[in-house]
Amino acid sequence: MGSIGVGQTVIRKEAWEKVTGQAKYTDDFISNDTLTAQIVTSTYAHAKIQKIDVSSAASLPGVKAILTGEDYPILFGQLIEDHPPLAKGIVRYYGEPVALVVADSAFTAAKAVAMIHVFYEPLPVIGSPSQAVAANAPLVHEQMILYEIAQKDIYPKYNTNICDQKKIRKGDVERGFTQCDCIVEAEFHLPQSDHIAMETRSAQARIDASGTVYIKTASQSPFNVKKIISKVFQIDQSKVIVEVPFVGGGFGGKAPVQLEILAYIASASVGGRAVRLTNSRENDMVSSPCRMGLEAKFKLGATRDGMLQAVQMEYLLDTGAYSDIGPTLIKAIIVDCTGPYKIDNVYCDAFCVYTNHPYVTSYRGFSHASSAFCIERMMDKLAQKLNMDPAELRYKNALRPGCTSPTQVEITSSNFGDLNSCISKLQEIINWSEGTRVEVGENKIRAKGMACFWKTSNSPTDAVSGVFLTFNTDGSINLNCGCVECGPSMKTTAAQILSEKLKMDINRIHVNMDVNTKYSPEHWKTVASMTTYMVGRAVLRAAEDVIRQLSSLAAVVLRCPPEDLEVAYEKVYVRHDPSLFLPLKELVHGYKYPNGNSVEGQILGRGSFIMSDLNVLDQETGKGKSGPFWTVGAQAVEIEYDEKEYTYRFVKAATVIDAGRVLNPKMAEGLVKGGMCMGLGLGSRESFSYDEEARVQDTSLRTYKVMHFGETPKYLVSFVETPQIDAPYHARGIAEHGIIGIPAALGNALSVAVHAELDELPLVPETIWHMKTGGIL
Amino acid sequence: MIPFEFDYYKPASIREATEAFTLLDTAGKNPVYYGGGSELISMARLGNLHFGSVIDIKEIPECKILGYDQDNQLVLGSALTLSDICESKQFPLLEKTAGRIADHTMQCKITLGGNLASTLIYRETVLPLLLVDSKITVAGIDGVRDFPISQIFEKRLNLPKGSFAVRVSTKKGMISSPYFHIKKTRNEKIDYPLMTVAGIKTGGQLRIAFSGLMPYPFRSVRVENILNDTNDNSVRAMEVVNLLSDKILDDLNGSCEYRKFVLKNTILNVLDTMKEV
Repeated sequence: MGSIGVGQTVIRKEAWEKVTGQAKYTDDFISNDTLTAQIVTSTYAHAKIQKIDVSSAASLPGVKAILTGEDYPILFGQLIEDHPPLAKGIVRYYGEPVALVVADSAFTAAKAVAMIHVFYEPLPVIGSPSQAVAANAPLVHEQMILYEIAQKDIYPKYNTNICDQKKIRKGDVERGFTQCDCIVEAEFHLPQSDHIAMETRSAQARIDASGTVYIKTASQSPFNVKKIISKVFQIDQSKVIVEVPFVGGGFGGKAPVQLEILAYIASASVGGRAVRLTNSRENDMVSSPCRMGLEAKFKLGATRDGMLQAVQMEYLLDTGAYSDIGPTLIKAIIVDCTGPYKIDNVYCDAFCVYTNHPYVTSYRGFSHASSAFCIERMMDKLAQKLNMDPAELRYKNALRPGCTSPTQVEITSSNFGDLNSCISKLQEIINWSEGTRVEVGENKIRAKGMACFWKTSNSPTDAVSGVFLTFNTDGSINLNCGCVECGPSMKTTAAQILSEKLKMDINRIHVNMDVNTKYSPEHWKTVASMTTYMVGRAVLRAAEDVIRQLSSLAAVVLRCPPEDLEVAYEKVYVRHDPSLFLPLKELVHGYKYPNGNSVEGQILGRGSFIMSDLNVLDQETGKGKSGPFWTVGAQAVEIEYDEKEYTYRFVKAATVIDAGRVLNPKMAEGLVKGGMCMGLGLGSRESFSYDEEARVQDTSLRTYKVMHFGETPKYLVSFVETPQIDAPYHARGIAEHGIIGIPAALGNALSVAVHAELDELPLVPETIWHMKTGGIL
Repeated sequence: MIPFEFDYYKPASIREATEAFTLLDTAGKNPVYYGGGSELISMARLGNLHFGSVIDIKEIPECKILGYDQDNQLVLGSALTLSDICESKQFPLLEKTAGRIADHTMQCKITLGGNLASTLIYRETVLPLLLVDSKITVAGIDGVRDFPISQIFEKRLNLPKGSFAVRVSTKKGMISSPYFHIKKTRNEKIDYPLMTVAGIKTGGQLRIAFSGLMPYPFRSVRVENILNDTNDNSVRAMEVVNLLSDKILDDLNGSCEYRKFVLKNTILNVLDTMKEV
């Protein structure tokens, strides 16, 4: 059944392929001449490579090539080029690829991997961000000064482990604290964890006789893959063609480029034959990038009536062994460092530090789930000290039009939305007024905690998107866009926006589910909850382009001025006399007069978009504009706590989000619920543990736990709709946000239940027991 | 991908299986018996286990028995999956125990024999069997023999080389004893046990067995003696903790001290709930 336009639930376009298992993902595309590559990984977190003995593996029949770091002494990186595809001379994290085997079958490759012997000389490890910045700490990268820096706003401190520092200096923080009646201070320690997308990362490469490189990959950034392969290996961009089929979950983990480079060198080593490289779950967790860790120190002050006056904070972001997107992660932290609250005096230092942990990359929420944990725990501490309802404290201080952000961007109703409405609605749906701590039986406490969130984006200031529209002769449309379908039904949203603009049945709009950089217009990256905004704007422009062309053609045929014409319901008609019309199908491939004469030809639509008025933040004060809008919201978690056992279970999790306009209600609800589920996982169980040598201990799903379906609480989702006037049909991005405040809301609920300050994650019963009893039986 | 070659055998009888073992062993084929594969496959894939041949016992009729024999004993074949056992509803404590091992997908793969002979330290299905004095029938090259579980299971299933567990038999009367089963995890419901405690009450006396508390599952008569004396509950709970304390695990799932706390609490729970039973 068809539907027209936005605001109503439509089933995702690829639903049938997905539920029947027909949808194909990268590693499903295998031809019988495809070779298989597999990586050998480091068993140390920091060590010199003394020798790699490949002799017995190389003599194994079926082994086509074995590569080590010595074969490709190159460095790559999105921001700082600090990363060898295969470790050369030194390994910097447990699980780092040290050699690559290419063989005629997965079996031979696996067998060869087991036969490669690497000899290491262990080096002292950096096992935490605070160790990394300690005096005389060993350096993870001794030659940082030689690295090329690919972006302007990166400020490394050479001869330290700090690869970037970002600052906010707003107002006068010393004076601000003198105005405070109440000051709270705390420290936070948040561990690394992993994305655990259902589809592990996978890439294939081949090089044809003309030297054209074909990469097929599970990536959120096909155009970035093209640029990086082109740059690192000095190949014309036109000769690097990247294809992305369906992606089985990204969560930010498939935004960076890693396996594509390995697949390329694997193919190059076998004369350009097709090679596939797919991560095992274990490699996907530690060898490929994971989620950041964070240490933070906070001081927050307010007057007696709860008005925030000043905040001082220091963040140490654990970027692991390589920088990848780490510098942008600390940028994202400082940009939103106050939480969505009005604080005029802000002093914030954020450092991106190397450690000998697995390297990190973007992860749903782009640092916000971690920073919000700190800020929102601080708000609860303050509320407690002020003896004030935490909801009231938040309500009183919520940003509103006329305020400025930490980077001094003026807050408007359009770019920010309405946080106070979200807080009020949240209080309603979670029944806040019944009390945040209720005894419900012997040793059982029901407790609620809340948290607010806001998030803007941190794209390059010139990030682009684009759309091409072509028509079939029956009048239906093909929509070609460069965003990747990695789960949130972006392609369907693009069709929905076009359907609204052209008042056309969504089933008559066909969207390319795959992306091919040769044919699809560039879309920056499918990340940052920016796709609806960027692709949507491009769709609207493309729609206007075809409306203009259709009207101009129909005006000739209908002998009327083009401005009198309307395009809707697959017709072009005269506005004041709809009986005068032409069906689209008679126009879209040119109009043919009764005598056979034809004019105009195919209608081809194009729409382009580029971020406007974003700028680079000032190095000293952080002043500047990093993203076009925020999405704000308020979240709560209700738990039942057992005072005797120090255990708890989830009862409810709730989100009220200002969506601007809800385009596809059920899909939006599902996205937010999925985010909450991940947030509960981060809050309650997900983390990497390391041994004393900084080796990750939970390298498989045997011991690394994610939320199981049966453990999910009742989810409540509600929307506020404050129009974002520059967004397609006023809709804000909402893809990531469900996760952001949930760990904090859980921390707040448990702290209330337990009567203890729970400032670390994940919150497991043992931690609570330890807090309460000091570990004494 | 399992990075080595191995031969696969699927015998139709006990005798074929044990003979295959002897032949393969003599030929240097390093054979292992194979049930559900959940452990062998995943460990071999990661290079933690190596074998030259597997002997799949899932088609041997005696390994798939589920029912009562002429002595009114419940007989469970070693190749039954945990989910077969749960669905049969024949042995409530075993059903409860098996139903809390891994997730449902894995319960449809993991076999009773595989869990008993697991290389992991938990082997939770042994807890009910230790409590109800089950017999394990073992097939070896010399034929088939029954062993009382307490004799063949000491920390692990100590099978003579070349033999495998065929079935487990339990007297009907014991199966219906009042029981308890408490599984504690770090936080996630589906996880290895921080500690699993199972027990029954028979003849007015409590029996108790543990998994996850030490690097092996065990039933402890000394703990039972403490539980069955007449001291105050909290005194008895502390006595149990003190008795076991120097061997308690300290690992990623939980520290030794925390396990002691959970143990104490769990014992208190057990004493309380089993008091009137």
